[in-house]
Amino acid sequence: MTEFMGYIRPDGAVGVRNHVLLLSGTVYANRLCDHVANMIYNAVSITHPNGRCQVAPDLRITRRFLSGTGANPNVAAVIVVDHFREEGCTADDIAQDISPTGKLIATVNIRSDGGFISALEKAMRYAADFSRQVSDYRRETVPLSKLLFATECGTSDTTSGLASNPATGVCSDMIIAEGGRTILAECTEWMGCENWLTERAVNEDVAERILAGVQHMEQRALASGEDIRGSQPTGDNIIGGLTTIEEKSMGACKKAGNSPIIDYLEIAQPPTSEKPGLYVMYGPGHGAESISSMAAAGAQIQVFCTGGGHTSSHPIMPTIKITGNAESYRLMKDTVDVDVSDVLRGDITMQEAGKRLFDEVIAVANGRLTKSEVLKDDNSFAIHRIGPSI
Amino acid sequence: MKKVFVIDEKDNVGTAVLEPIKVGDDVGTNGALTSIVVKAKADIPFGHKIALRDIPKGSIVMKYGLSIGNATQDIKAGDHVHIHNVESNRGRGDKFADSKGVSA
Repeated sequence: MTEFMGYIRPDGAVGVRNHVLLLSGTVYANRLCDHVANMIYNAVSITHPNGRCQVAPDLRITRRFLSGTGANPNVAAVIVVDHFREEGCTADDIAQDISPTGKLIATVNIRSDGGFISALEKAMRYAADFSRQVSDYRRETVPLSKLLFATECGTSDTTSGLASNPATGVCSDMIIAEGGRTILAECTEWMGCENWLTERAVNEDVAERILAGVQHMEQRALASGEDIRGSQPTGDNIIGGLTTIEEKSMGACKKAGNSPIIDYLEIAQPPTSEKPGLYVMYGPGHGAESISSMAAAGAQIQVFCTGGGHTSSHPIMPTIKITGNAESYRLMKDTVDVDVSDVLRGDITMQEAGKRLFDEVIAVANGRLTKSEVLKDDNSFAIHRIGPSI
Repeated sequence: MKKVFVIDEKDNVGTAVLEPIKVGDDVGTNGALTSIVVKAKADIPFGHKIALRDIPKGSIVMKYGLSIGNATQDIKAGDHVHIHNVESNRGRGDKFADSKGVSA
C-alpha cells in the first residue's frame, strides 16, 4: 500500500502543501493581495478579473471557484480580500463557504477597513499571524486514497497521445487502484470518443449526463458561430498527422486511464463520493480555467501533459508537467518535470513510464517542489465564465 | 531500421514519432507491437501514420485499440494513412445526426 506525508486538515481532508492564501474577491483587490503575498513568508495570492458586474450564473461560478480554491486542503489558512460590492459573492459569502473546513479564515474589506493602506496593514497582520501558526503544522502519514488527482493536457502534439497522456493514464489507474480518485475535465475533448467514456460509466444516468455535457458545450460554441465538431481536427492537427476527431480525442482522454467513471461533475464541483475511480467534469479546454476548476473541486496535485512544452502551473495545486517529446524537454526543461520520450524509442514500456510519473506524484505529494513552484511561476488561475460583463 | 510507435496491439497503423520515413524504407515498430516490418510505400512525415497491414476499403482503421475512422479506399501495408484515405465517423456534420451514442 502506498502512503504519502500530508497535512491533515480539521475536516479530514489532506493537503500536500501548507499555503497561506490571499484570495482576492474581485479585480479591485488583486494588487493588495499581491502586496501581502510578496511580503509574507509562505503566502501566495490568487487574483483574477471577475466578481464584479457579472450575470448571476457567472457570479455563482465565480463564487464556486473562489470558495473551492480557499477550501482546497493545500491551503492551510485563507484571507479573503474584497471591497464594497454587490451581494452574492462577497468576502463574507466566500469565507462562509470555506468555514466548514475548519481552517484559519479572515476577511478584509478595503472600504470598511478604512481604505487601501489600513486594509493592507490588517491583511498583513493576519497573514503574518497565520504564517507563523501554520508553520507548526506537521506532515503525517496517510493512505494514497486521500489523493484527488487532476489531469490536464495542453500544447499537445503527436507525441502527447502516444506517450505523456497514456503514461498519465497508467499513473491515474495506479492511484485509483490504491483507493484514490482522478478528475478528467476538458469536455470539448471528449467529442469523438464519447462512446469510449460512456461504456465505462457506472450507470446509464452518468453516461447520459456525459453525452449531455458534451452537447451543451458544443451548442454553446455553435451559438457563438464556432463549429467545434465540424472544425476538428484543426488544420494544424492535420499537418501534424492527426486524421480524425476520434483520433485526437482518444489521445486526449487517454490521460485519464481505463478506470470506471463513477460520476459526472459540474464545473468546479467536488466529487460526489469517496468512491475510488474516475470523475469526469464539465468544462472547457482552456488550460488555466480547466485546472482551476479541478483545484476548486479539491484536487491536491495535477499532471499536465504537454507535447510542445508548457509553463502552466496553478498557485496552490502543484502542477507536474510531463512530455514525450525529447526536443520539447530539451527546450523547456526549466518548467517541464518529467520526460518519457524514451517510451517512444522503445527503451521503456508504457507501464514503466507510468510508474516513473507515479513516483514523481508521490514525491511531490511528500513535499518535493515542482520546477514551476521553485520558479514561483504560478501563472494558471482563471475562472470560467459563460455570459457577458454587465 | 527506422521505427514507428504502436500504442495498442490491436492497431493496424503505427505513428512516425522518432523520425520521418522515406519511401522504400524498411520500417519496424516500438510499443505494443514489436515484430512487424513493412516497406514504406510513401514518405511518412513526422507525426503521421503508416499502415502495418492491408486495410480494405470500408474497414476500420485502428489506433488505441479503437476505431479512428474507416478506410475510404484499399490501403496496403506500408501506405501513408491520413485524410486522403480515412474518414471520420464522428466529425462530419452529415453523419453526426446518425452517429451511434450521441442522442439527437
